[in-house]
Amino acid sequence: MTPRDTAEDRADRALVQRAFKHLTGRSGEPVQYALMDDTPVGVLGLAAVPAGLLRLEFIGGEEPFVQRLLALFPDQPVERSWALDKVRRELERYFAGRRFTFDTRVDLSGLTPFQRKVLGETVKVPAGRYTTYSRLAAKAGRPRAARAAGNALHDNPVAIIVPCHRVLRGDGSLGGYAGGLEAKAWLLRHEGALL
Amino acid sequence: MTARLATDADALSLLLAKHGLELARHLRRLVRDDDVAADLLQDTFLRAHRALARLRPDSNERAWLYRIATNAALNHLRAKARESAVLERHARERAIEAPAWLHAEGPGDGARAPDPRHAAVWARVAALPERQRLALTLRVTGECDYDEIARRMGGTAAGARANVHQALKTLRKEFQ
Repeated sequence: MTPRDTAEDRADRALVQRAFKHLTGRSGEPVQYALMDDTPVGVLGLAAVPAGLLRLEFIGGEEPFVQRLLALFPDQPVERSWALDKVRRELERYFAGRRFTFDTRVDLSGLTPFQRKVLGETVKVPAGRYTTYSRLAAKAGRPRAARAAGNALHDNPVAIIVPCHRVLRGDGSLGGYAGGLEAKAWLLRHEGALL
Repeated sequence: MTARLATDADALSLLLAKHGLELARHLRRLVRDDDVAADLLQDTFLRAHRALARLRPDSNERAWLYRIATNAALNHLRAKARESAVLERHARERAIEAPAWLHAEGPGDGARAPDPRHAAVWARVAALPERQRLALTLRVTGECDYDEIARRMGGTAAGARANVHQALKTLRKEFQ
């Protein structure tokens, strides 16, 4: 954990967990979230458990993001936290153009094997390059499943870190993106893959 | 609140997710007893949740939670003070037993333990006007500067400073 995880932080968290358990019945492992307000691609929402990062999303604001987390993890407390400093620093380095790779552990345990495979192949595409939905499908072992690969990317729970923005249509057009095509184009230009 | 949630539990979860840690810290510092703070935290969020329908959509949700939590904690401390009326008289007679922050340049890092001897002071804090009470407890227990107090309570830093100043003046007069 981070240096911010003091005995006081732990005591605070214990109280919140008791409140969640007694008042809402949520007693699982707490999901911690944080926001990054001023990135070049808008507001990002992060969510993590100790095993790794669960979500990195383009969000409209705190409340809809927390509501989605509460729906995605119905048995777990959700709490705002400062414990996501490390991934935030990595993202700041990314946006500053100093480093395009991430060491943050990602927890993809909630996905299907095919989704995991597609996302695993996506991670191998380096910054400054891009691939296509059909090539990605072939690499994931289903050469004719370009659309399914696109869907898997659409459900990518950790944008940017799993760089689904580096996957384009076969004709070179951008395709889709959860953060909007403007954000996708910005990321690709930032990495030097587009002029 | 921008949206009505599917169930009551969701609305409560949303409040807890956004503000739970911060309010837990506030209550733990006020009452200095984690079990008591745990109860007060649950009371605070239950009470807040029941009142959600009455909260204006544009009002400051966080300031409102701080108000509920602070009042709950001060009620607790006041009840404890009542239990020890003898100690209360004692404290009134001997200012030296009032908490350090009361006579320091300004509060900030005092107010550690709610020593029973301090209960009389806290009981008096509970009777201060609401904005003074809230500003003072945030200053004393939350290690907040005036900007931070204004951010949590709503209002300006100058207003927060004035409230803390007025609260201390009242208390010092009585416990000098």
